[in-house]
Amino acid sequence: MSDSTNHRNDHWWRHLVMWVAISIAVLPPLYVVTAAFNSDQTLSGSSLIPRSLTLENFKGLFVQKEGGAEVFFVRWFRASVIIAVLNAFFTVFIGALSAYAFSRFRFRGRRMGMLFLLLIQMFPGLLNLVAIYLIVLRTGEVIPALGLNKLTALLVVYLSGAMSVNLWLMKGFFDSIPAELDESARVDGATPAQIFWGVILPLAVPVLSVVGMFAFVGTLNEFITASVLLETVDNFTLPLGLQSYIGTNFEENWGSFAAGVLIAQIPAIIGFIFVQKYIISGLTQGSVKG
Amino acid sequence: MTQAAQYRPSLLARVISLFSGVGGLLVKLLLLCVLNGITGWAIIVLFTQDRIAWALGTIAVLGLIDFIYLVPNRFLPAKFIIPGSVLLIAYLIVPIFFTINTAFQEYSTGHVLTKAEAIDTNIEQNVVQGDRFFQMTPARDASGELVLVLVDDTSGQTYLGRQSGLEEIDSTTVSVDDFGDVLPPAGFTALVGDELFAIDAELAAFEVPLDNGGVIRTEGLSGAYDSVPGFEYDASSDSLIAADSGVAYRDNGRGSFTSADGEELVVGWREYIGFENFTSVITNPLVRQPFLRAFVWTIGFAGSTVLLSFAIGLFLAKVIDKPNFRGKKLYRSMLVIPYAIPGFLSLLVFKGLLNDDYGLINKLLPFDPPWLFDPWWARLSVILVSVWLTTPYFLLVCMGALQSIPAELVEAARVDGAGRWQVFRKVTLPLLLVVVTPLLIASFAYNFNNFNNVYLLTGGGPSTDDQAVAGATDILISYTYKLAFESGKGQDYGLASAISVYIFFIVAAMSASGFLRSKALENMK
Amino acid sequence: MKKHLAKFVAGLTVAAFAALSMPTASGAATTLRIWADADRKASVEKVAGAWGKKNGVTVTVVQKDFGKIRDDLKTVDVATAPDVIVGAHDWVGELAANGSVIPLTVSKSVAAKIPSYSLDAFSYANAKGNKVLYGAPVALENVGLVVNTKVAKVPTSFDDMVSQALAFQKKATGNFGLVIPGGDAYHNYPLFSGLCGYVFGKDAKGNLNSSDVGVGNAKLLDNASQIDSWNKSGLLSSKVDYGIAKNAFLAGKAAFWVTGPWEKDTLDKSGLKVQIVQMPKNKCDSVPFLGVQGFMVTKFAKTHGVESQARDLVGSYMMSAGAQTQLSSENGRAPANTDAAAKITDPLLKQFAAAGKGGVPMPNIPEMSSVWGDLGTAWTNVFKGADATPAKSAFRTAGKNIVAKIG
Repeated sequence: MSDSTNHRNDHWWRHLVMWVAISIAVLPPLYVVTAAFNSDQTLSGSSLIPRSLTLENFKGLFVQKEGGAEVFFVRWFRASVIIAVLNAFFTVFIGALSAYAFSRFRFRGRRMGMLFLLLIQMFPGLLNLVAIYLIVLRTGEVIPALGLNKLTALLVVYLSGAMSVNLWLMKGFFDSIPAELDESARVDGATPAQIFWGVILPLAVPVLSVVGMFAFVGTLNEFITASVLLETVDNFTLPLGLQSYIGTNFEENWGSFAAGVLIAQIPAIIGFIFVQKYIISGLTQGSVKG
Repeated sequence: MTQAAQYRPSLLARVISLFSGVGGLLVKLLLLCVLNGITGWAIIVLFTQDRIAWALGTIAVLGLIDFIYLVPNRFLPAKFIIPGSVLLIAYLIVPIFFTINTAFQEYSTGHVLTKAEAIDTNIEQNVVQGDRFFQMTPARDASGELVLVLVDDTSGQTYLGRQSGLEEIDSTTVSVDDFGDVLPPAGFTALVGDELFAIDAELAAFEVPLDNGGVIRTEGLSGAYDSVPGFEYDASSDSLIAADSGVAYRDNGRGSFTSADGEELVVGWREYIGFENFTSVITNPLVRQPFLRAFVWTIGFAGSTVLLSFAIGLFLAKVIDKPNFRGKKLYRSMLVIPYAIPGFLSLLVFKGLLNDDYGLINKLLPFDPPWLFDPWWARLSVILVSVWLTTPYFLLVCMGALQSIPAELVEAARVDGAGRWQVFRKVTLPLLLVVVTPLLIASFAYNFNNFNNVYLLTGGGPSTDDQAVAGATDILISYTYKLAFESGKGQDYGLASAISVYIFFIVAAMSASGFLRSKALENMK
Repeated sequence: MKKHLAKFVAGLTVAAFAALSMPTASGAATTLRIWADADRKASVEKVAGAWGKKNGVTVTVVQKDFGKIRDDLKTVDVATAPDVIVGAHDWVGELAANGSVIPLTVSKSVAAKIPSYSLDAFSYANAKGNKVLYGAPVALENVGLVVNTKVAKVPTSFDDMVSQALAFQKKATGNFGLVIPGGDAYHNYPLFSGLCGYVFGKDAKGNLNSSDVGVGNAKLLDNASQIDSWNKSGLLSSKVDYGIAKNAFLAGKAAFWVTGPWEKDTLDKSGLKVQIVQMPKNKCDSVPFLGVQGFMVTKFAKTHGVESQARDLVGSYMMSAGAQTQLSSENGRAPANTDAAAKITDPLLKQFAAAGKGGVPMPNIPEMSSVWGDLGTAWTNVFKGADATPAKSAFRTAGKNIVAKIG
């Protein structure tokens, strides 16, 4: 870029914009922080400063109270992270495969297929879960690992959207990778699979990172599908487990819930820090010399 | 792949490109083996469960998949599309057909059983209890026959109850111990523990016939009561007949038994009722009346949410997207925080923040808008909060998509003397839109059905005086949800499914038309 | 071709391994499965476990979100379905209409120990209009008027309560007189009943009649101007939500708070001096809604062949004073069994129970789902301050809407 070497980009107004945006972005989450350290167990709407500070809410996630319910927080956390990593990985993989096909091959039904995949996501999913439950139930009778109360089944259900949800985003990005690169590889004798792995994917790292990030964070927060498929508390994912702190009418342990949510953000933040350099890398340097 | 290497790709990119050789092939083979293994296993199980059709179907599908992958250089698109498609069909398309199927059924509170179950349940719920209750102990006589030893809890009279009938016995032969348990007379052995468990079903169904046509039925392990049936099922007329009045309740073809004067039994069953759910949506005044207003608002809500989020997301992405911009890593991380916090939690926090007497926002503002209590302010609140929730998505998308815009195009325009804004409008934005338009449409459709944002923030309110169901901020999906689940007897899945189908057609038609007019599809040369 | 063959062989090998790792079929054991929510799981395990030990039955308690117990019962697979559930009495109509729970019969000696209103709460009329019992009432809960006795006296009359509240409110900015979660039909019910409102009337046989909706009844509308005056004087505001009400009371900034026994621990820990009473009589008795929790036997107990066992557990054991005393002490709710209730020693629990005297069980007929939304909306609208809807028209509209929705 022409003006990349000097500090003209470091205008004060850019920083100002950033800080305004950030303060709007983090204000509600700050209330979650407050609630996590508040002994009142309310999601206080009126005060950012807790009435009394406590670490009890965090302690309660790890240590079983006298006569209280057993705590599974660590298990929930582990299950969530594992399933989020796997879902992110496979979503990227499956999505990239499909996007590559739609970007690089010309076949009958291609345009209609793309449109179909876009529209199919618009079906209000309110009632689909009943069917998903039944499908998983029946599948479980044949392949136990894909049955109810199995994290593998949940993963597979999550992956059902891998193809459609990010198809347009990925395909758009793939389209912007110059076809000449494929062409020269093909001349060198590369197969489509080799072009996919060797040319397209390495250049598509930014979009793969974005999609992976979406899938990762989305899984960490997903509640409804998990609540239908997972049945016993020792098998829950984190959002599902935390929900039990606030599931009862009025007896809501917002403090413990908020503390759990805060801890649950750690993988999301680590994930983001990990991928953010890839989001920006890739094409900036390599973009179109040919 | 040597091409990529010139550009000094990142470590991740280099790792990925390793798979372009033998590695990728091995992965493919490994995955195929796993698929064959698992599915092969499933086929064996299906055969052992005598589900032959399923087994054969699975073999056919598996065979097809293997064939496609093992024939080199043919079916190339299919090779790339199959993994996604299989999952899509199994867990997205099949459920949609299931929902459509439900839309043709009476499936609501009181209509969840099968007809046979409904008949049994009606008979069971209408058993007429007598006025006698017995303490009971199940026992076996010398021949091993199951007998109920009964003590009338009012008169103290003792009986032996057999399937052949009731037999009065001398009360001195039966005693009751300190725990209130009845001890059987000599020659009978009381059943306890596992023995009881083993005969559970038998005991539950045990009936001692009485002279008045009634029976003594057991209640649990230590009680029994006399009763007469209230209903009998008559198979020839397919109806339930009331034992006392003789009134017949007939199958009305819509999942209920009804009498001649229109009285309906509470327990019905799931039944196909054709297009009735679809027509009732149209004829129901609770639906018709607010439809247009809710429809317009839904479009306004979804449209402005998407456009504002995109605009803000793009603006912020552009502001950050400068080399040497100090702190950009920090800024980026902070800005995506709204995305990382569970949405429903943020919505609940916002509900508190927007409280017009006690919320922080009005404490900071010089005036106090009634954010959640006035129809128009509430609409604004819903949009603003949705924008807050959606912007990080578009920020991430734009941050990625901006990378895909060739820098030399921008530079060329600059050289030609175009200003920043012109470059943005004439070069950057059009290129960006090609990538982003489908996402905008998808996001529009998502927000069109964004039940949570409305339901958790305003509950659809504030109410409008003229309307029973839809409040000022109710979008189509939230007001129809109220109609299906918070009206009548609640829980009308059939109606909800029919509504889902309608909404799908509405939003799909709008999206498709918007989409066909955009350049995104044209661009697919 | 050889290469392809090798792939298939490899695939089959994996199949063989998968087959070897096949789990053994789970044999039907002498188990009874109970669904309970997180709060009650431990106590149910203990109490039902004691019963199980006596009868040689293994009791498995599966933890579910409270609301999901009701929802999941519709879709659950027979293999993993519960035989017994913990539930609220207001689910009974829906569960009975769906045939999800089965009728119970209790002996007179058992019934004598359980107040008839709580048995009625767990009953639903059959086709003949007879009440059929579907559950064992175990715990009662209701809201009461919690008085911060440091700043207010236990009110002697409704007017006294109002004037004390207003006086305290005027004392300092940030003070509240009476805090009730805004727009919440449940917490506002004492106000509603005090003005002679009711939700459903009863038919000749004493069963709830869904065509007699009392939300906009004439007596209530006549008394509705009182509501307008509470709005005008700032006594009540729909902007006070549950959290604000709770925080204000705990901070000593509210004289009266309407809440229930689920806040007992909070009150105990708060260090405030409180007394809980029923809200004083207004035009009619200001009774609260009663919630009754209990156990029900599902239809799956039949399919699992444990029906008699489940009936024994629910219909006789759980009704007993011993079981209810233990459940009560673990869960902080008043027991339904009168012998057990007489044994409560906890002062707050006792006061909450007394505040429920004469209370109205929340209607358990499925038509109740048409009521909550509109009744809540009416409460929101009447306490909106300057923009408030006059109560008369708000409740008339709510009544009209509810009738329309019941259809």
